[in-house]
Amino acid sequence: MDAPVYYSKAEFIETDTGNKVSRRATIAGPQNIILGGKTIISSGAIIRGDLRRTGPGHAVVISLGRYCLVGEGCVMRPPYKTYRGNFNYYPMKIGDYVHIGANAVVEAATIGNHVVIGKNCVIGKFTIIKDCAQVADNTIIPPNTVIPALALFAGSPGRFVEDLPESTQEMVESQTKQYYSRFQPLER
Amino acid sequence: MAPAIHYYCPCQSGESVQTPPPPHMASSSASFHPLHCLFFCEECDAVRCNRCVSIEVSGYYCPNCLFEVPSASVRAEKNRCARNCFSCPICRSTLQVVASDPPDGGDGRPSVSLSNVGEPPFFLYCNHCRWDSAEVGITFEKPTGLAAQLQKFEDSAPESLEFERLKEHFEPFLRTSSLSSSLSHVPSTSSHHLPTSSATAAASAALARDVPGVGKYNPLARSRVGRDRTANKDEMPEYKSRMEIGVLGQLGSEGDGSDVEALRRMELAEEIASLEQRWGNSWTTSLRTSDLRPLRIPLHSKVSKRCPTCRHILIKPEQKAQSVRYKIKLVAANYLPAMTVALPHTQGADAARRPQAKAPSASDDRNAGAMMAGKSYPFHLALTNPLYDPIQVRLSVQRMHVTAVTDSTAPEKARRTPFAISLPTSSFPVAAFAEAWEYDDDDDMFGLEDDELGLEMGRTRDKDGKGKVKTVGVLEKRANVTVVGGEVVIGKEARGYVKFNMLVSYTYRSDDPLPSEDGAGTPSRTVAKTPEVKTFTFYTVVDLGPILPREEKVDPDI
Ligand SMILES: [Zn+2]
Ligand SMILES: [Zn+2]
Ligand SMILES: [Zn+2]
Ligand SMILES: [Zn+2]
Repeated sequence: MDAPVYYSKAEFIETDTGNKVSRRATIAGPQNIILGGKTIISSGAIIRGDLRRTGPGHAVVISLGRYCLVGEGCVMRPPYKTYRGNFNYYPMKIGDYVHIGANAVVEAATIGNHVVIGKNCVIGKFTIIKDCAQVADNTIIPPNTVIPALALFAGSPGRFVEDLPESTQEMVESQTKQYYSRFQPLER
Repeated sequence: MAPAIHYYCPCQSGESVQTPPPPHMASSSASFHPLHCLFFCEECDAVRCNRCVSIEVSGYYCPNCLFEVPSASVRAEKNRCARNCFSCPICRSTLQVVASDPPDGGDGRPSVSLSNVGEPPFFLYCNHCRWDSAEVGITFEKPTGLAAQLQKFEDSAPESLEFERLKEHFEPFLRTSSLSSSLSHVPSTSSHHLPTSSATAAASAALARDVPGVGKYNPLARSRVGRDRTANKDEMPEYKSRMEIGVLGQLGSEGDGSDVEALRRMELAEEIASLEQRWGNSWTTSLRTSDLRPLRIPLHSKVSKRCPTCRHILIKPEQKAQSVRYKIKLVAANYLPAMTVALPHTQGADAARRPQAKAPSASDDRNAGAMMAGKSYPFHLALTNPLYDPIQVRLSVQRMHVTAVTDSTAPEKARRTPFAISLPTSSFPVAAFAEAWEYDDDDDMFGLEDDELGLEMGRTRDKDGKGKVKTVGVLEKRANVTVVGGEVVIGKEARGYVKFNMLVSYTYRSDDPLPSEDGAGTPSRTVAKTPEVKTFTFYTVVDLGPILPREEKVDPDI
């Protein structure tokens, strides 16, 4: 029943697997980025696949699963640290059915499946977000935070607010699928 | 706020009342819930909510290191993580163990290297507000087993020692009284019509155990406890406090002269610890922010939920703490049709510029969704059938005259319903749910349907809600969704919200009971072999949004 969300057909590139990537998004180091399929990268998003671990060969820097949404103006940047005197970037892995709200900055290490991150959030370096967790709009998650499964975090610094309902997985799955099907091109 | 529908759980209304409170009353919101938060008991054929289910803890874990703590050690570790998890005493963010070797990040930031490498002493550091434990003189020789070291401090606090002594003193009495209270624990039926959950029972048993005498005040239990001679309070020896009253004051927790003195010298408001910063401590602590100590992180629990009436399990999570799967999950969304409501006059125009569907901002174009007094508006109700059988639905509006009962002296006009709702009067079908509808690759179909929906909305809009044709009635059927139209006529002097209780009644046939493959909440309403029609009825509250008074009317056409 929800109305379609229209986008200009000229702005988006649709891949064989149904990913829709805005031409107005900045995809740095695309060879190091994996999109699972039916994932939407919105206008103005910046994905830093170029910030890879030093060393030879190919490396996956950022991977996103299926039915994900990287909102408008989001920055996705792999986390880094100095370990035993060596500065390095570490990969960022994101599961299926993950929505990231507009203008969020994400430096997480892992984000599970069925996760919803609100708009204007900052997800600090090496944060681990487990399945079905949610981060409310405008939340600041400090580096190295762990967000357990089915937890709602909010505030600055982001803290546990409540346990989410048992049906969160089904809800998020249908919402993310619906969003993808509502995301329709407008010829022009 | 976008129009919304919530579902009624009758638990707040008492046994004799079957109807929900009128929607404009404050008590209404406590009885209505989003569908996805509700449970369904097959045994009772009834909706249950988080307010009425019984809760049982099925496991404890640390929300930071995710370690699953055996229940045996939860008590000894005082419900907090006994590994390396601490929260910042200033901002409650998670602290990190850092070594004290010199920062070597070339970017000019005070980069702290991660734990387990580098030189002692180790200390705790807050990534959010940059507090560190060295500031308050807490450092560690080794980066491991910190909780044990901190718990030693906690346990050696005078208050803690005093409490231990108290427990020791009452131990013999506790043993006898817990024995008798377990004997005398009769489910109370008089004061609460719902049986107390086992968690509540456990808590009250614990209270009775820890606070001697509490158990005795249960009128049902009195006679039995009285019989137990050994539990006589008079036989207790007198307790002698380990320290003098006033010693606590010197520790800075009594709010006496030393606090006044400290306050006199204070220059910044931040030097006083806020209530929130002191709230989570086990004992009263000093007022000074500089005295705050890192806190071991409180454990979380996974819970099972039971029907309050028949005790059947509605929710049973898998054992693993971070698993999001359930062994049993009986949620109302698998039994009742899901309903959404929309006002077509607000849609269409802003659909294209909304970046995210789930977060429609309520602040922008506040008046775009509002309805004017003295006008009528169509609205759409979409019903989605979760059952494998088709259902036949009938909708009706709960009469609003309930308020008239309260006061007969008030002027007639004030009590009149400020709006009238039209709904389809006859019942209508909603097709069965089929797995195929959910298929990943039927996007084309969805696209097409969306276009049709767009057309539909356009047509209704042209008529400005006045067209007699198809404003009220079934508008659309696709897959297991039926969209029906209703209409609200708002009175000229109306104020407030268009909010009404709606009774939903659906009949379903169950001639071939489907075996549930996973047992986890499949819509399986098994009935006898002969095809049988059953009816289930529930209340909802429909909130269409605020009414704009006529004075504020702005006509865009002029
Ligand atoms: Zn309830
Ligand atoms: Zn822990
Ligand atoms: Zn802090
Ligand atoms: Zn029951």
